[in-house]
Amino acid sequence: MSAPAADPGTTVDDGRYLYCVVAVDEGEAGTDWTESNAVDDAEAYLVVADGIGAVVHRCERTPNPNDLSTVKRSLLRHQHVVDAAGDAFGTPLPLRFGTVVEGGDAAVREWLVETAATQRRHLDAFAGKWEYRIEVGWEEDALAETVEASDDRLAELAETLDDSSEGTSFLVQKQYDKRLSDLVYAEREERVAALAERLDPLVEEMEELGRPAVSLEDADGSDSGPSFRVAVLAPEENEIPIGDVLDEVKSNPETTDVQYTGPWPPYTFAPSLDDEESNDTGSGSADRGSEAGGR
Amino acid sequence: MSSAGPTRTSDSLADVVEMLLDKGIVINADIVVSVGQTELLGIELRAAIASFETAAQYGLQFPEGTNMQRVEAASGRDQLPEAEEGPLAPVIDAADGSDAEETSEEDDGDADTEETNEENEGDDAEEAVEADGDTETTEATAEPEGDDADG
Repeated sequence: MSAPAADPGTTVDDGRYLYCVVAVDEGEAGTDWTESNAVDDAEAYLVVADGIGAVVHRCERTPNPNDLSTVKRSLLRHQHVVDAAGDAFGTPLPLRFGTVVEGGDAAVREWLVETAATQRRHLDAFAGKWEYRIEVGWEEDALAETVEASDDRLAELAETLDDSSEGTSFLVQKQYDKRLSDLVYAEREERVAALAERLDPLVEEMEELGRPAVSLEDADGSDSGPSFRVAVLAPEENEIPIGDVLDEVKSNPETTDVQYTGPWPPYTFAPSLDDEESNDTGSGSADRGSEAGGR
Repeated sequence: MSSAGPTRTSDSLADVVEMLLDKGIVINADIVVSVGQTELLGIELRAAIASFETAAQYGLQFPEGTNMQRVEAASGRDQLPEAEEGPLAPVIDAADGSDAEETSEEDDGDADTEETNEENEGDDAEEAVEADGDTETTEATAEPEGDDADG
């Protein structure tokens, strides 16, 4: 390998670009599965060993990060292939974009054999379940109005404010603002918690995704934007019930944004095969409890 | 009820990008000769895509140390909402990204002559990069002028 680390589109020797791992029954016709229109216009196919199959295509280069138009197309085609594999074989274990191994099908097969037990365990655990992504945002001003209308102490302060002199009013105003902002924060937290609680019986795992983006305008993080952003792992049949919960949230006037995407392969919940192989304690999922709430 | 199902519209491209670059199984098995730059590639792609179409739009995190103001300026997101394709390397270079500077040796990938229909958009992007350069120059010269006015 002569390529420097960041050389665009590193050349590889008998490379195999990896998409995902799926459960297959060897001997069935399904092992002939292929999918055209893969990344780099290649054809994706299965490499099977021990009842699991890796979806790969032959490649001579890794994706070139300098060429964005190709990258964007590759991202979509990568997802297209993983989707097709999921349709054919059930929930796949997705690999991170841009994973290339050298050594041809033999190396892929060897890797499958090495990790078969772990992979099989995870494939079974994920069977019939998919990742869904949920974002809900609340409008600060509307929340403030709701809070103002219902809090006695705020009403009291507002009354005092009307009656006070200029000097006093400054201090009362500060008190008022402080209480209002505390209450708005609490209100939002309460809504987040309530939503997480309602989703809890419908989902198997929930993982917070943090803020959606680095905001270019206010890097210090304002109060606006989604307050609830999670990936959930849920059985396929719970798609609509989850959507119903979100529809109710959406009908709430203080809600600014509800996004519900999926079904995705379990990207967020994909196991870390290496760790488990090295530890091999047999309790790989113990470290990933479900997590709820937050912003 | 009819709207209760999840969607995968163009809006969810952000999800696709984030998942594919950040999530999924990462293999580092000794048994295969892994190219071993999956992470690096992910970081570079993230910077490239984000600087190009703004981080917010894609829901991306920039690598630490990225100069966000420069990226914002360089992406020219206000001026060229349409310019989706084009050379990225010069933009990243201008952004002072420590992760990205090694990638800027080539302006255009030499392997992509097939995409003739995207040349126009690429031109737009180049213009925008140049325009951005002009803006910075203007800012740099503004101060001395102010001094003159004072004196």
